[in-house]
Amino acid sequence: MTPETAGVVIGTGEAVIFWILGPVALAGALGMVLSRNAVHSALWLVLTMLSLGVFYVVQEAPFLGAVQVIVYTGAIMILFLFVLMLVGRDSSDSVVETLRGQRVAALALGAGFAALVGAGIARATQDLPVLGLEQVQGGVGGPSSGNVEAVAGLLYTRYLLAFEVTGALLIVAAVGALLLTHVEREPGSRQTQKELSRARFLTDRPQTLPGPGVHARATSVAAPALLPDGRLAEDSFATGIEPEQVEQMPRPTGREQLGSPDAALGSLDPTLSDTPGGRTGGEHR
Amino acid sequence: MIDAPDFSFAALSPLLLVLGAACIGVLVEAFAPRDVRHPVQVGLALTGTVGAFVATLLLAGTREVTAGGALAVDGPTLFLQATIAGLGALSILLFAERSLDPARSAFVVSAAVPAGSPRDRELVTTQRVQTEVYPLALFAIGGMLLFVAANDLLVMFVALEVLSLPLYLISGMARRRRLLSQEAAVKYFLLGAFASAFFLYGLALVYGATGSVRLRDIREAVTAESGGVLMVLGLGLLVVGLLFKASVAPFHSWTPDVYQGAPTPVTAFMAACTKVAAFGAILRLLYVAFGAAEWTWRPLIYAAAIISMIVGAVLGLTQTDLKRMLAYSSVAHAGFLLTGVIGFGAGGDGSGLAATMFYLVTYGLTTLGAFAVLTLVRDGDGEAGHLSQWAGLGARSPLTAAVMSLFLLALAGIPLTAGFTGKFAVFRAAIEQGAWPLAVVALLASAVAAFFYLRVIVLMYFSDPVADGPTVGVPGLPTTIVLAVTATATLALGILPGAVLDLAGRAAIFVG
Repeated sequence: MTPETAGVVIGTGEAVIFWILGPVALAGALGMVLSRNAVHSALWLVLTMLSLGVFYVVQEAPFLGAVQVIVYTGAIMILFLFVLMLVGRDSSDSVVETLRGQRVAALALGAGFAALVGAGIARATQDLPVLGLEQVQGGVGGPSSGNVEAVAGLLYTRYLLAFEVTGALLIVAAVGALLLTHVEREPGSRQTQKELSRARFLTDRPQTLPGPGVHARATSVAAPALLPDGRLAEDSFATGIEPEQVEQMPRPTGREQLGSPDAALGSLDPTLSDTPGGRTGGEHR
Repeated sequence: MIDAPDFSFAALSPLLLVLGAACIGVLVEAFAPRDVRHPVQVGLALTGTVGAFVATLLLAGTREVTAGGALAVDGPTLFLQATIAGLGALSILLFAERSLDPARSAFVVSAAVPAGSPRDRELVTTQRVQTEVYPLALFAIGGMLLFVAANDLLVMFVALEVLSLPLYLISGMARRRRLLSQEAAVKYFLLGAFASAFFLYGLALVYGATGSVRLRDIREAVTAESGGVLMVLGLGLLVVGLLFKASVAPFHSWTPDVYQGAPTPVTAFMAACTKVAAFGAILRLLYVAFGAAEWTWRPLIYAAAIISMIVGAVLGLTQTDLKRMLAYSSVAHAGFLLTGVIGFGAGGDGSGLAATMFYLVTYGLTTLGAFAVLTLVRDGDGEAGHLSQWAGLGARSPLTAAVMSLFLLALAGIPLTAGFTGKFAVFRAAIEQGAWPLAVVALLASAVAAFFYLRVIVLMYFSDPVADGPTVGVPGLPTTIVLAVTATATLALGILPGAVLDLAGRAAIFVG
């Protein structure tokens, strides 16, 4: 094709892919904004990003497509999900407006901005001819070399400085992440297993702490264990969690109700039994 | 076969010195024993910044485009790089001050320990410091040096990130009032990320409109077809991203909160150096790349200058906290600086560029000094920032009050101080370019702003000391050096500005 006849006809395949994946990408973006659950949002976003990756590949930019899938969908989304899981996927934002009317104003201004930019771009690009990769690509190896070679050529010549300075950015990111998460241990403050064991046997309770109470009606770690006399075992409280009041099975206490040990077991008098038609007194006497 | 582009290492030397020192600093963190880290880091940081300052002086007169065309080393670049490196070295000295706070530093012991936890209370009294602030500050300075030299929108964007990320981190590392500091860091990070996104979007649109990210190619494309909708949109978004960094109203909303929450040495650093870097980039972008399409950005900058001056001056009046007051003062000064940007003719004529660069030097030195004085006045809870606590300071500590008055007079633009010379230069440049309405607004805004600076002076000298007022700490050697340098420079640039003005005038030619 000569430059005079500039203009490539968009193939049927490309058009089909666009009209299928376009709505999918849009649906993903809307779903990401509208879904209440943060994990669902992240998954919707994956859908959008994968669709975009396919678009790039279709538009003769396989490198960009691969980067989109590997970096965004792979690395960054995993990071998102990782953080979401760390923070707790149930945690939600407070919906109280601290500034009155903020949300309405933000919606109006955001829509206005989107309309302005969208209309501007639409107007500027409406009659642009489609050129195809070979027409626009300069760079190393001439126009006929592929997109990947061209990107590599630019990265190591024209944009070498930007590429190198990005290294500084990565160092800052690594130092920053370490700074905000790593608590340095005092030298010599780390106890050996032997010292820990000694210290434990000097206390009143060398054995392990009791676990939480697992009653028939509670499976939570917040349920405290009960002592034989029915009091709560304070040792079993989980750190940082308020002990939860667990509704207990009715529990007869006291001489009057219990009578003899047999009565306490519910095996003395049929009238005391709470199992209708079940165990009746004297049979196994 | 790919041929590597030519790198002029001499022209890159300021950048290499600072970033090299930063990388060594990270290694020091990893391998040096804890007790020697602080002195080693301070020494390294000072070597890097002072070395960069000297390197820019040695490079004076260089005019070249290097690193495959990505870096323009010319007069404005070197002048602003020298300013950033010098102010950066002074900020590092403020960071290194250890005798004012009873806990011996303005920085937290361990940023990862949750604020208010038992371990945090235990650590308050230890003398350890999170020494990572020094390499991080060096990375920020390196980013700023690159930012003013970038001849390529892509390098400009990477530099913007390199200078921003460390600032987000070190804003959250105050030793006292940690939650406030962390809140400031989060706010700065979120809004800064937003601004970066604007910049990036603008970059993409400009690339779409002109087919290049090189400033020179953009100028050629703009001259050839005088731009289209896409280019104007892109330029608008780029400018928004840059005005945010320069804390120009209406993109200033982060400034008061971050200035108040960040440790005072970091606030001083941000107020002085970030502003220089942001304005360097604004000037280069507007004049080198879009000089031929002035009609697109001149009204925008004109409006931003007026809004910024008015917002800064009026809201500054209502503040009761000195750090917040200086933050709004910084917004107002950003407006005055934009007056200088307007005062630069399209063809490179007019004194706007030299005036703006001179103003940046004077403002940087003065504001750094003012924040340094703030670190001296303390009560049991750290720095005494509330205005009422400064009442009668003149009687209690005449020297401190006198130095603070000097800086406040300079910020207000009273004659015989650096602030006056700077304001005079930018206003004259604006009037020469026919922007006299802007100069009138600027004069009115200066008058309003002068009121809140003078109010502090009146409070210090003409009211009775409060009973349980703050104490004035005796500064150690680093802060003393900073105060001496900034106070001397503020006076000297007010009385004999000729030499520096000439230097700025001679440097004021872009290569592109």
